[in-house]
Amino acid sequence: MSVAVEHPNIGPSAASGSGDVMTLHDVKVHYPVKEGVLQRVTGAVRAVDGVDLSIRRGQTLGLVGESGCGKTTLGRVIAGLVPATGGDIWFDLDDSSKLLMERLRAIPKDSMSREDKALWSQLESNHRLGSMSRERQRIYRRNCQFVFQDAFASLNPRQLVRDIVGRPLRVYHEASGNDLDLKVINLLERVGLGPQHLLRYPHQFSGGQRQRISIARALALNPEFVVLDEPTSALDVSVQAQILNLLVELQEDLGLTYLFITHDLGVVQHMSDYLAVMYLGKIAEIGPTEDVFSNPLHPYTKVLRDSNPSLEGDDLDGSAHLRLTGTVPNPIDPPQGCRLHPRCPVSQPECGWQVDDMFQSLETSTPASFETITRVERSGPFAAQLVMTDDAAARHLHEEITSSRSPFGRAVETITLDGANVSIRLREVEEIPLIPVAPGRMSSCLLAGRPGGINPPSESR
Amino acid sequence: MTMTSIPQSAASNEPRKDRLRTRASSVRWARRREVLREVMRNPLTVVGVVIITLFLLMAITAPLLTEANQPDPYQSPRDWANIDVGPGVEGHVLGTDSTGGDVLYGIIWGSRLSLQLSLTVVISTLIIGTIVGSVAAMRGGRLDNFLMRIVDVFLAIPELIFALAIAAVLGPSFRNIILALAVVFWVKYARIIRGEIIRVKQTDYVAAARVVGDSTWNIYRKDVLPNAVTPLVVQATLDMGNVVLIGAALSYIGLAQAGLTEWGAMVSAGQSGILAGQWWVSTFAGVAILLWALAFNLVGDGLRDALDPKTEGR
Repeated sequence: MSVAVEHPNIGPSAASGSGDVMTLHDVKVHYPVKEGVLQRVTGAVRAVDGVDLSIRRGQTLGLVGESGCGKTTLGRVIAGLVPATGGDIWFDLDDSSKLLMERLRAIPKDSMSREDKALWSQLESNHRLGSMSRERQRIYRRNCQFVFQDAFASLNPRQLVRDIVGRPLRVYHEASGNDLDLKVINLLERVGLGPQHLLRYPHQFSGGQRQRISIARALALNPEFVVLDEPTSALDVSVQAQILNLLVELQEDLGLTYLFITHDLGVVQHMSDYLAVMYLGKIAEIGPTEDVFSNPLHPYTKVLRDSNPSLEGDDLDGSAHLRLTGTVPNPIDPPQGCRLHPRCPVSQPECGWQVDDMFQSLETSTPASFETITRVERSGPFAAQLVMTDDAAARHLHEEITSSRSPFGRAVETITLDGANVSIRLREVEEIPLIPVAPGRMSSCLLAGRPGGINPPSESR
Repeated sequence: MTMTSIPQSAASNEPRKDRLRTRASSVRWARRREVLREVMRNPLTVVGVVIITLFLLMAITAPLLTEANQPDPYQSPRDWANIDVGPGVEGHVLGTDSTGGDVLYGIIWGSRLSLQLSLTVVISTLIIGTIVGSVAAMRGGRLDNFLMRIVDVFLAIPELIFALAIAAVLGPSFRNIILALAVVFWVKYARIIRGEIIRVKQTDYVAAARVVGDSTWNIYRKDVLPNAVTPLVVQATLDMGNVVLIGAALSYIGLAQAGLTEWGAMVSAGQSGILAGQWWVSTFAGVAILLWALAFNLVGDGLRDALDPKTEGR
């Protein structure tokens, strides 16, 4: 009990360099898809679909993934710009309150003791986004800032730099009048600009300078944590380097924690201590940046790394390059099991194959037998009854599937032939969790923990 | 760190900072002048501005240009000795109508009525429309839906017909024309500002203001409204002309008091004489209406081109 009483008093200023700035548990952002005149909700775009993540104080977590994988949405959720539609986001949990949170979370709500319930609600009102008290919300707001990808778009074109950079100070009544001007000049100098830039409009600056202005604004309140959403991807390479060096310098001087969102692996390697790789709304792999690069534990990470042209042309571990097939699936209806399995070069029978995958592979590999399917009765994603044109076609399909040596063929649990009907039931794998596979490493690939790792077994290739 | 240097420099730099304050406003004014120069680069806009300025001067100096008729200056003085005389006759530069009313007098004092009409209608509808549109866009959801359906109902009826119906119900008077036009015109502004606000709300600079933790009101005041008003300004300028056009149409039909020096009413009064060769009453009043509407349309179009959000501020 005494432990719990202590927690509420831990503000960011009291933080001692340990603990998490942000802790995410099963965070989801689903955008409803509406259809028809009545605007009925018919589905959801699963931009972020169950993300667990911890951002340690004082460190930089890199978040990489291809366009549309949900990394920017995740950044915006963490910064409170987009509400999460599911899961919990915790702010400023130190190690002991994180342990407490994890202990309490494991207890089902209705069987919680009265004491635990009180602790939980205390924890929520102090740390959970959306449940925080006004005072704590204010502290969170001050300490979590955001730098946008397009600096120009993030600066109000009708405001002077003084008003843009000084705005956070005004909001929190930190300064006004001459004092404000001085503080703004100091901030501008901090990011490599000067007093001569105070009374100019955003359109009077170059791209790099604009990003400096937006960094100055983000730093105005002396925050602990900054979300950097592709801060350099709109800049040319030489300016990129300047901004990155500035960010590193600021982090060292001010003890900042960064969430660095990017699709540029070279940049992320330079910037981040930890790396999270995201694919289709989920985290594929997390680990220390160097380890993730030298020894990826998820085929997607390996594909990303290998697809990055490097000037030296070196192969990091001498293993065969992996390539993905096909395109990114629709986030409205993402694949079951592992999100990557339909495109994965090393997929396994246990990856969550579903009936739709079967159609897709039939259509490309044997279009002739795909044409003979006349009707499909689905029962869930993993089972269906197919009505074929005639008995021979059904026999042919049955033969084709049972003799298949592909991971998909081996995922078939039962297949029965009944006249022109073929009933098929696949192994049900709904979710492949992100689990620790090595010290400090987490992966959501089944192969990560197995002896051969994620490299393709040589005999089958 | 550089932060430690604040206190000393704050003390020593006090006068310099004061100069900075005044400079900030001069930078803002310089920017406004720049925009103005941009607007005035179009010669047609300049023509419009000149015509408008002349009309304004005419309206302001009306009592000096002509002796105000007593008791009601907005009724032409009757010169019963000179009925239906043509332009150029002694004392009646633009001629008189069938009741001996001086046409020039009517046009001069009519400019006051036009100004009164357009300013009252445009300013009041601008305020109402901005409030309704802003509330709808900022709140969103059901309220937005509700307000916009009301706007749709208004927009479904043609402006002239709607205004005509209202004015007819209220009875013939100039004040009722103003009222009728005000009822009709606010919806367009509500629609425009709503759309603009919804656009601006999605920009990164609004997101940036939210990350900082500023209040919704401040975000509306500092970010949303200043970046959303441009199309509204353009529309309002165009409507300064349109309102007079429709107002003239209404009084032409006879929805203003008889004998009023309103241009539309004058066109109507002079119409019977046209076939008899007395062209001047309707023509001069018509030209006044035309010039007024033309001038505001020229300026409105010029503003639209100069303030195009795609090119502005880059």
